[in-house]
Amino acid sequence: MVPRQADPANITLDVMARRVMSSGLPRFVLGLAFGLAFMLWLAGPRAASLGDSLSAFSTVFLGIFIEAAPFLLLGTLASGLVEVFVSPDLLRRWIPSGALGGALAGAALGFLFPVCECGTVPLARRLFRKGLPVSVGVAFLLAAPVVNPIVLASTAAAFGFGSLLVWRFALTIVIAIVTGLIFSVETRPQRLLRPSAMLILQGGSQALASAWPRRTWAQDLNRALTVAGDEFFEMGRYLVLGSGLAAAMQTFIPQSRLLELGSGPLLSVLVMIGLAVILSVCSTVDSFVALAFLGTFTPGSVLAFLVYGPMVDLKSILMFRQVFKRRGLLYLILIPLALTTAVAVSMNLFLAP
Amino acid sequence: MSGSRLHRSFQSLVLALLGLFLLNKLWNGTVLWYINARFLPLTVIGAFGLLWLAQVRLANLRSTGDAKQAHDESPPSTWGLLILSLPILLGLLIPPAPLGASAVANKGFAAVAPARAGGSPAQLEILPTDRTVLDWVRVLNYAADPEAYLGEPADVIGFVYHDPRLAAGEFLLARFTLTCCVADAAAIGMIVRWPTAAELPTNSWVRVQGPVQLGDLEGRRIPLVEAQSVEAVPPPDQPYIYN
Repeated sequence: MVPRQADPANITLDVMARRVMSSGLPRFVLGLAFGLAFMLWLAGPRAASLGDSLSAFSTVFLGIFIEAAPFLLLGTLASGLVEVFVSPDLLRRWIPSGALGGALAGAALGFLFPVCECGTVPLARRLFRKGLPVSVGVAFLLAAPVVNPIVLASTAAAFGFGSLLVWRFALTIVIAIVTGLIFSVETRPQRLLRPSAMLILQGGSQALASAWPRRTWAQDLNRALTVAGDEFFEMGRYLVLGSGLAAAMQTFIPQSRLLELGSGPLLSVLVMIGLAVILSVCSTVDSFVALAFLGTFTPGSVLAFLVYGPMVDLKSILMFRQVFKRRGLLYLILIPLALTTAVAVSMNLFLAP
Repeated sequence: MSGSRLHRSFQSLVLALLGLFLLNKLWNGTVLWYINARFLPLTVIGAFGLLWLAQVRLANLRSTGDAKQAHDESPPSTWGLLILSLPILLGLLIPPAPLGASAVANKGFAAVAPARAGGSPAQLEILPTDRTVLDWVRVLNYAADPEAYLGEPADVIGFVYHDPRLAAGEFLLARFTLTCCVADAAAIGMIVRWPTAAELPTNSWVRVQGPVQLGDLEGRRIPLVEAQSVEAVPPPDQPYIYN
């Protein structure tokens, strides 16, 4: 996994082109183009004039980007600081090795690192590289965007300290732990993670250490900021693409079409989950968005919006791709989806007044 | 100069441009077309954070040779550079504008205003002429006795939206409410009865004065103003209502 890092000075245009082709990005961009065409077709004659639509698209896109960029920056800074100041040994001592304990610890890490989903992915990848077990990292990825003081405060502000808040936090933690446990069944992380997210070999990390001898605080900080900058470019492109996709869906598909669908106990849950994935709103503020649906949608579906949205949405899926191989990515999307849907639908059927 | 050095200089440039882009939006106030004002401190931090990263990158380029750069984990990615330039390009190529009538057409109309936390009744107790479009929609939705408010004078501003479902001589006075950023914007509005409504250009901002009545849009209750005056006003600096 290390030889992949050829000396960048030797990279010719040809190699770079091949790397780009194999990265899956061209396929993705092609998919994006087809998706856009499909959406334009869906919108059909209802679409306002193209100029107006483009202007609205640009506004929504920049809105999501401007809103999320500081959070992404905080996440990459946290990642840079972890790179410099947290050694793999330290991590091994802190994190329990048992599957359940590890998953619990992963969920608890969220309170230590109050970053939303744009920030958790770079941080989790960094922790994976330091040797964090996959199950712990997965629990952290799923729980951290919700289980932190900021989201606790915003959820309380929107809904009060009521049952919905308790449900949101309890269900998130349960799903994070269960998913983490399922991931711990696979003992070979290389089948789930991309090489760039794997533990750096002992020799490799020593080589790194000698390349950057720790001397002064200023150098440590410099190193952390350099790593943060690298990370910003790696993760940032997925934030940009995700915001673009979310903005396109919002601009070109009439929202009323989605909302018409939602009142049945199952359908409403699926619609709200779909909406959460498309809107890609930051977990720190999604409570206020959910509030708007509380009157018209079933309680279970609002809960599903609040639980699944922070775990998986368009922009986080694109960022997950940087960390997980396809199999891991699928598990990460589907397991929480199944669990959230099951709980939310049961809530509608058995608990709703 | 190697490809890697060039690449890193470009990265530095893009980081700096993104930071300056945010600062520019903050400086001329158009940042309010995108996000809720309460996130402004974060945007400021983000802008200076980006500039800081750019500066560190540039300084490292000057002080170190290629030998050290080779040890960085991330392979240079042209895609990353291109994609992260998109926000700047889009911001420069497409003239910035707040959400307007075309977005109403797509997002649809929320006759039920997003409730505020707790829906404090005290909010309804302000002077009728101080109420915004959102306040009026809330009065009809959440007041214990909405009828008590009918006939009170409204003095509101909003943009003109000609909804095809309205009768002749009527238009919708629309606003967007925002909680976080424009991604969650919801359109709300009041019906305005005004004989020459058709002459008002879509998307233009107007100030409407007149008594409030109960309107109906496809069976949903919505405030209606029997306008006594409709005058053109410049668009407000803060186009959205926060809730």
